[in-house]
Amino acid sequence: MKSVPFSVASRLEGDAAVIYPKGYLNNLSGESLVIECGNYISQGITKIVVNFSETDLINSIGISLLLQIMEDLKNIKGTICCTNMSKFLRDTFEMLGLIQHMRVFPVESDALKYLSAGKV
Amino acid sequence: MSTELKKALYNISALVDLGQAITAEDAFQEKIQSALYVITGTFLANKGAILFYDKSTGRLNTLIQKGFDRAELDRVKPQDLISLGKNEPCLIGYDPVPAVAGAEILTPLWVRDEFIGVLLLSGKLNAGSYTLEELELISVIANQIAIVLNNHTLFTDLSDKLEENRRLYEEMRHIYHGTLQAFAAAIDAKDAYTQNHSHRVAKYSAAIARELGWNEHDIEGIYVAGYLHDVGKLAISNDLLNKATPFTPAEYEEIRKHSTLSHNITSKIKFPWKNVHDMVWHHHERLDGRGYPEALAEDSLSDGVRILTLADSFDAMTSQRPYRKRMDVQSAISELKKCLQSQFDNKIMLVFCRVLEKEITGELPEPDILPHLDSDSDLSIISSMLEAIIQELSAP
Repeated sequence: MKSVPFSVASRLEGDAAVIYPKGYLNNLSGESLVIECGNYISQGITKIVVNFSETDLINSIGISLLLQIMEDLKNIKGTICCTNMSKFLRDTFEMLGLIQHMRVFPVESDALKYLSAGKV
Repeated sequence: MSTELKKALYNISALVDLGQAITAEDAFQEKIQSALYVITGTFLANKGAILFYDKSTGRLNTLIQKGFDRAELDRVKPQDLISLGKNEPCLIGYDPVPAVAGAEILTPLWVRDEFIGVLLLSGKLNAGSYTLEELELISVIANQIAIVLNNHTLFTDLSDKLEENRRLYEEMRHIYHGTLQAFAAAIDAKDAYTQNHSHRVAKYSAAIARELGWNEHDIEGIYVAGYLHDVGKLAISNDLLNKATPFTPAEYEEIRKHSTLSHNITSKIKFPWKNVHDMVWHHHERLDGRGYPEALAEDSLSDGVRILTLADSFDAMTSQRPYRKRMDVQSAISELKKCLQSQFDNKIMLVFCRVLEKEITGELPEPDILPHLDSDSDLSIISSMLEAIIQELSAP
């Protein structure tokens, strides 16, 4: 099966950035996800929502890139929320213990509601 | 499925990821970058580094790193690591493992008995200790990384040697051509009337061969033959070569020896090009078998010989001789045409005319023949003449 080339889109919603990775997060092209988040962090954004609705699969390279984003946010006391995750993604994050270092929501709107409520 | 099983599957798939990363057609740096991501993603480490041992300097150079202080990595000493186990992960703080750049775990990389570098990890996300399974996995990964680095070193060494050989070959070629030109200058200096004749014959011959579709190696061969075809004249007396009156039969016989002398001289040289000896020896042969020194004819004459013969004759005709004036270009072309089939080859003549025509029309931006011809020549007349010959010789 031919995988979709990885790409990233994003938008600003209030004081939170919503990131939309698209495709299999499994090689160096996934660095664009780190760069996209880094751009928002450098603008002072501390709340990032990653909507995984178009990324079903991830491998160790993708996990490493996600760790980088989590580390960058941790350094500025920011928050990362992950939404719309496939079962595979959620199981993987749970098994690795990543879940404890992020907020997980079923859908993007829930995450934005949580962030706008100022609970972080 | 239990968490342990899921973790085991994740680790196996990480090895697959590593295999894909290091066997991809990417550049070396990208492979190593991918490999480091696989490692840090597998062990959830926010710090990772691969250092490569440079035998020539005795230092460890950072190939790729994430999260470490580069200055601290620069201070890692290979002698502190060489005594540790080969591709065995060592937990920092346990004697005799030295503290290195703030790493929690280090793995010296080895291929057979060769120290290759070191893999460093630190900053495990969940701050737990490394399990036995994880240490075994690090050892497997370290073996693979060491092989990748070693292969890269071998490839780089080979590339360097290849580059050095290429450079030496180019130097040799320059020296070779310089020597040939010095030879040619010595030949031409003997005969005041044929200065630069060898150079021009080399240029004309190469131009015809190129138009004929020869490859660059063979073109270089005929160029060399052009330079050397008259080297035998070095053994002919100056007085005879520069004689102002026509040769007597005996003198002509003496002059005719030069092509065999050229062959005898050049036969001592092992040329990297084919047929140089043949072209030098037979450049005065004719299609009708009335040439010299072997009176060869038709099928016995290679294309190279036929090209050199025509180029030599054309330059001889358009150059001043002690016993006659130089011929104008039109007359020389007419003379060549008159001698087709008896002396010169139709196909070679056709190609020669095409080259000259292309040089006149500017189709060949770096002309080889035109710059050496009489500057007073009327190019439009020559061009018309060439067109007519081309049409005639191209007819089925």
